[in-house]
Amino acid sequence: MVTAMNHPQERYALLNRLLHAATLLSRLAIWVAGGLTLASALYITLDVITRKFFNIALGGSDELSGYAFAISISWALAFASLQRANIRIDALYQLLPPRVCAILDWIALVGLGVFIAYLTRYASDVALLSWTNNSSANTALATPLWIPQFLWVAGLIWLCIVLALMLLRSSVALVTGDLDTVRAICGIRSSQEEAAEEAEAGERMVKGATP
Amino acid sequence: MIATSLILLLVLIGISIPVGAALGVLGLILDPLYSMLPLTRAIGEVSWATSNEFLLVAIPLFVMLGEILLRSGLAEKMYNSMSLWLSWLPGGLMHANIGASALFAATSGSSVATAATVGTVALPQIQKKGYNEPLFLGSLAAGGTLGILIPPSINLIIYGVLTNTSVPRLYLAGIIPGLAMAGLFMLAILLACVARPQWGGQKISASWGERIASLVHLIPPLGIFLLVVGSIYAGVATPTEAAALGVVGALILAAFARRLTFAMLREVLEGTMKATAMIMLIVIGAAFLNFIMSATGLTSAITETITGLDVSPMTMLLILVVFYLVLGCFMETLSMMITTIPIVTPIMLALGFDAVWLGIIIIILVEVALITPPVGLNLFVVQSLRKSGSMNDVMIGSLPFVIMMLAMVAILAWLPDLALWLPRVFG
Repeated sequence: MVTAMNHPQERYALLNRLLHAATLLSRLAIWVAGGLTLASALYITLDVITRKFFNIALGGSDELSGYAFAISISWALAFASLQRANIRIDALYQLLPPRVCAILDWIALVGLGVFIAYLTRYASDVALLSWTNNSSANTALATPLWIPQFLWVAGLIWLCIVLALMLLRSSVALVTGDLDTVRAICGIRSSQEEAAEEAEAGERMVKGATP
Repeated sequence: MIATSLILLLVLIGISIPVGAALGVLGLILDPLYSMLPLTRAIGEVSWATSNEFLLVAIPLFVMLGEILLRSGLAEKMYNSMSLWLSWLPGGLMHANIGASALFAATSGSSVATAATVGTVALPQIQKKGYNEPLFLGSLAAGGTLGILIPPSINLIIYGVLTNTSVPRLYLAGIIPGLAMAGLFMLAILLACVARPQWGGQKISASWGERIASLVHLIPPLGIFLLVVGSIYAGVATPTEAAALGVVGALILAAFARRLTFAMLREVLEGTMKATAMIMLIVIGAAFLNFIMSATGLTSAITETITGLDVSPMTMLLILVVFYLVLGCFMETLSMMITTIPIVTPIMLALGFDAVWLGIIIIILVEVALITPPVGLNLFVVQSLRKSGSMNDVMIGSLPFVIMMLAMVAILAWLPDLALWLPRVFG
């Protein structure tokens, strides 16, 4: 502990590296999550077409895409949190000095952490119960429920790990008075920032349209 | 009990805790305060049930449909075609802004994306053709809001899920008010430009040949609309299945436009999942809070208190309008909708209002919030596209359209059938 205090730079470097690695992994996770959603779209379409035109029901598209949806959200939440994409209300926040804002940013992260921790705790109960009771879905597929539920909970656990890292890094930054880092990790995205990004995206898309 | 909960909610949201987490944390606090049973344990079941609800699968699919279409390069050609058809009216291209927005709204479930896309194409024309800047900017911000009223609409799906209202009926109910509101917007422009001809910019003339030829550019967006909305009413698909058909249709369009690349697809997937995760965190928080509120009797306490005030339904509607106008000054629109609907809807239904009709009213009020300061997101989008000048221009220019939106609410209160006729005929 003492040696770590003697080399604060090194200690932060490790934390920063971990956070960087977590971002990379979360980005990968969100692509896989998006891929799952795209696969759902394709499978549902196939189901509709074969049902309508060939009178063959592939079946299960609603059930399977539901599982894919749950899993993809829980795995996408980590990247969304790292990107500070969560919606926060800044009516009061805008009026406060930067030091207070940094404290609010930290509290917001703690609030998110508390909610997700409870969610993950009781979501694991749901999955474990399905495992011990060997429950299966009340459908033609009779999917053993623990399979999608474990994958869903795994995403939530990953989210907890990411939030813990963010909380650790921002706590250190807050204590050392490094307000810029607090903002970079868990600051609010102002409406202006948000809108600027949307506008830029719109521009990029349309400009791309004229070769 | 009601006062404590309300104050807690205001504090949690006021200190800028993420809205989804704020709703969830409020549930965690209310449970030990007002309940004998450990209700919090249900959070696992509630969020699992919400997370794999098939109707909600439509959200990422509609977001993805919009993201693909935006990147497939349809917008510019569609706008040009609209301008050939509509710009002979006093007010010129501003009518094309509204028309293109309405058409884009028929393929997209988002207001912000509609404003950003049409705005990018339209803005360079202000200087070129000498338009009155505030009104032109206002028409873009307001036209964009049509995205959530004209089906498909992500907000209507969320309303349907939270209130157990049929989404196909809500979609049908949105069509006429959506078109009527586009009409009212164009009327506002027309009146302004007849009174002040110098606001209307230079005339653009087009021959009938050009107009007919340009129609080909309207086929792709109309095709997507027919595929998505048509398949629902032909009884071929549920809203979620229709969204999936739309995604595949959009992919095919993008492929034909030679825009379907790996990099594009990666951007689409990332954007889709980020937006969906954000929405779903709030939906899950709200679902959990809903459960706690009805289990502790808070929901019925609120409904009883307000219906016990013995106000007439029309007074209540007026209060509702003011409530959303004020709330819209502080809250981002989607969180505002998800937070208030579970409380507002039971009250209004107890007073005898129709759930489908109410959904349309709430959507229009949410649209108002999108273009009123200080947090109207569409205002900011148009302003950042423009890059210079004062934000006040956009706000002032949006004012006539706010008036038209409120007029639309009044018309719907007077003639509920404007919304309810189509669902009755087809539903």
